[in-house]
Amino acid sequence: MRLNLLILTVCLQAGILIPWPAFALGEASKVVIPQIKYKGGTYNPRPHAVESLLAQMAKRTSIEVKRAPLFLAPGDARLYRYPFIYMGGNKAFKPFSEKELKALRNHLTYGGFLLIDDNSSKPNSEFDRSVRRMIGRLFPHIPLQRISRDHSIFRSFYLINQVVGRVVNKPYLEGITTKGRTVLVYSANDLGGAWSKSKLGHWDFDMIGGGSRQRRLSLRLGVNIVMYALTLDYKKDMVHLPIILERLRRVNPK
Amino acid sequence: MNWLATLWGEEWSEYNAWELHWTSDVWGGAFAFLGVLIVLSLWFFWTSLSRVRSPWKKTFLYVLRVVVLLLVAMVVLQPQLEFKKIQPLKNTLAVLVDDSKSMTIKTFPSEKSRGDLVRKVLESNQEYFETLKQDYEVDFFFVSDHIDPVPLSNAVTDYQEEAVNTDLHQVFLDMTENYEDQSLQGVLLFSDGADLSQDPSGISPEFTETLTRLNGPVHTFQAGSNDGFKDLAIEKVDATDFGFIHQPLNITVTVSARAIGKKNIPLVLKEGDKILVSKIVSLKEEDSQYTAELQFTPVSLGKRIYTLSVPVFAGEAVEVNNRWSFEVKVIRDRVRVLHLNGRPSWDSRFLRETLANNPKVDLLSFFILRTLTDDVGATTSELSLIPFPSNLLFSDYLNSFDLVIFHNFKFSPFIDKKNLPNIKAYVEQGGSFLMIGGDLSFEGGGYDRTPVEEILPMRIRGGSKKFLLGELQMKMQPKLVYHPVLRLENDPKLNAKAWKSLPPIQGVNIGLVPAKGAHVLGVTHKNKASYPVLVTRQVLEGRTMAIATDSTWNWNFLHVGEGGSGRYYQKFWENVIAWMTGEPETNPIQVETDKEKYREHEKVVVHFNVSGQDYNPLPGAEVDLVMNSLPKEQERVRQSLKTDEHGVGRFEFAPGREGFYSARVGVTAGGEVLSGETRFIVFSPQIEFQKPLVNETLLQTVSKVTGGSYRVLEEGIMIENLIFPNPDVEVKSSSRMVSLWDSWWTYGLIVGFLAVEWFTRRKTGLS
Repeated sequence: MRLNLLILTVCLQAGILIPWPAFALGEASKVVIPQIKYKGGTYNPRPHAVESLLAQMAKRTSIEVKRAPLFLAPGDARLYRYPFIYMGGNKAFKPFSEKELKALRNHLTYGGFLLIDDNSSKPNSEFDRSVRRMIGRLFPHIPLQRISRDHSIFRSFYLINQVVGRVVNKPYLEGITTKGRTVLVYSANDLGGAWSKSKLGHWDFDMIGGGSRQRRLSLRLGVNIVMYALTLDYKKDMVHLPIILERLRRVNPK
Repeated sequence: MNWLATLWGEEWSEYNAWELHWTSDVWGGAFAFLGVLIVLSLWFFWTSLSRVRSPWKKTFLYVLRVVVLLLVAMVVLQPQLEFKKIQPLKNTLAVLVDDSKSMTIKTFPSEKSRGDLVRKVLESNQEYFETLKQDYEVDFFFVSDHIDPVPLSNAVTDYQEEAVNTDLHQVFLDMTENYEDQSLQGVLLFSDGADLSQDPSGISPEFTETLTRLNGPVHTFQAGSNDGFKDLAIEKVDATDFGFIHQPLNITVTVSARAIGKKNIPLVLKEGDKILVSKIVSLKEEDSQYTAELQFTPVSLGKRIYTLSVPVFAGEAVEVNNRWSFEVKVIRDRVRVLHLNGRPSWDSRFLRETLANNPKVDLLSFFILRTLTDDVGATTSELSLIPFPSNLLFSDYLNSFDLVIFHNFKFSPFIDKKNLPNIKAYVEQGGSFLMIGGDLSFEGGGYDRTPVEEILPMRIRGGSKKFLLGELQMKMQPKLVYHPVLRLENDPKLNAKAWKSLPPIQGVNIGLVPAKGAHVLGVTHKNKASYPVLVTRQVLEGRTMAIATDSTWNWNFLHVGEGGSGRYYQKFWENVIAWMTGEPETNPIQVETDKEKYREHEKVVVHFNVSGQDYNPLPGAEVDLVMNSLPKEQERVRQSLKTDEHGVGRFEFAPGREGFYSARVGVTAGGEVLSGETRFIVFSPQIEFQKPLVNETLLQTVSKVTGGSYRVLEEGIMIENLIFPNPDVEVKSSSRMVSLWDSWWTYGLIVGFLAVEWFTRRKTGLS
């Protein structure tokens, strides 16, 4: 009999929630999300987006974060200190050089993760076209594909059945998966706009269409994407499946 | 002929025959060309003599030329005369005696073995063989799947039925090869015909073809009969050579029963004296073959020896086939790893990926994704989080894991403190435990003064400062460079280079001191102080390790960024898993034999490589080597040996009899006793007893095909009236070759005749 199933059949329902001092062993242990500083266009149209997401990560999860903003060029050697990188924008940008593409490709292939976010709030924007051109050159043999709903991204922390952002241009995420690992996720829905919060605690941008629920779902999706990068397919381990599937069944009785 | 021999100065009395030989070196076309040339030249010469009016002179000149050309042709054809001595010879008869193990089977009702019957017949017919020797050469052979010549005088005394296989077709192939240049005119075959390579209903076409190539008849004498044959046997066991620990293993056993009657018999599988499983086989009078499926679960790693047995009944023809021992190499199917992560981090992410992608690892991991203070902003049903099955893992199923990893994991509140002694007991009984650093490890995890600290390779001293931050280069301890955990490359120089090439780690846990008996494999230095990073320890039967940092992932991802690869990171973790789970190659004492299986009486060579707990070779170490026969662990040899300057040693052993053996090497180093063991088999195939019935059909067919006779041996039987051909046979005992062309007189005659011809032509007025 599978040990995992055995564990599940009798697992305790006790809480696991006890605080502990939040000190990490070195800065490298904390999760930092640098932003790609590319040429042309606007590389940081949502200045507080990443910081706000990290704040939400720290608030909602056990992950230790470092919120200070960091901007790195695509070919910057320091990228290898940060496996998770964010790339936002709302305009067309200059094509990456071959050297930059190679560096980025290696980063993603050997363990890195890139979240690209179209902050233009418009469908088929200039940024969207630039991104697709860039991805076509970055992984010429792997198509950018819609991420299916049973992907670990949608269950890495929250159980998510709706893909949104500040807008809902596309009710799905797209991504590049290689060797069983999704290394790049592209959102066309301005996730950063939904996350972005000023230092005074006000949301920087109004939601278009869905209000606070849509913002809540956007934040959850952001948390899940970072959590996926940190735990990979952990939530597809057999030990989790029965409970997750049961909860999903309750949420979607169909 | 006398004058011919005298002509070449030979003593004729030495020879009684001669023969003319021509060269075989010259190409056939050359002969034809030479013939045409001679004819043409003779025709040309004849026409050139038209001016000679005297027919006598003309004929004389022409004869001279013919003689010269014949002499030239002789030089080309190189004739040789062979003088030889021819002697008449005796024809040969061969007596073949089957000495395979099946000849030990009893025959009924006399209960004498088939071999004993043959002995008696050979003894009582010595006179007959002596009579045969008057007209024939009589050669004796012991045969099984090959032939062994033996003198007639020793045929009875040397006869031992020990050969492990019968293949009569091969025997007759050997015979035809052996007598290729001799006149074999008949064979006497004493055998039970129990040849597993032939079908019981007849003999193969190839065997028939081989028999027809023999000149004389094969008279067959059947040893024993199937009347009253009673036997219970384990005929066949189908089992894999290897199995997985804690995984059921199936074996299929074929039991044969002849004249045993209607009975229920137990089929028992044992390891040593311990019964693993048994099954009742119901014997029926009408059936002779039964199949039984058995299942058992190996619980120990390594080469295990299992024995199947059925009871021995009174009057059985063969008793040895009531037992069957076999070896199974029990390996780990996959290393079961429990990986507990105090929080998601890049270090845990890269380690999880490495473990999950390792096909040898069965990974169960848990991440603590939120704390009590975290505000998830959602109901439980909206979360994918599951409760942590603490009690189940740490009380019920802990022993099912090969390795437990606490990765920056604080036990409270997830593991009840009362379960911590279970972790200690698990390690002491052979489990392995690894603690990886971070703010939730060691002192930060609350492990000081707990049972976990007692098994850790580092004691927690505590102090105001818990971490040393910044980029720190980890260095191997020079004294422990041979430790399996550190072996990124096999070559020590390349290994040192590999470690130097790795990026620095980002901080270490401090306030830790190595426990007694621990080995500090890697340290980092700052401000002239040294801090342990990689520390291992043997805790009774188990192993523990501490990695005082949560940034070994730098050796992977960051190394890639620096132009390297993640290869060393992968190798490092493979090493960690192998050492922690006690893979055989991580034992400081390596013992191996040159082979895993030996035939009876074959020499066994044991090699051993002796290192201390620190894996440094022990040159000149006093080693205690014990050879035991299994499964009862009876000591066969005990020897004190010394290792050479490399810590290596060798021992030769002659176990003799078939069976299972172990070679155990022990050494005392640093006050600790280390030992290593290997096992091997000395086998004597029992195939002869798998189908022990006499094969009458085979013996009858062999005699029929060759025109011989077939008889069943009985005690006191006299061999007579056997007919063998006896044609005349001659042999050339000596010879000498004499060249007829390579001599001065041949060339002298050619020159002489040409000179006479020239002189005559001149006198005749020809040019």
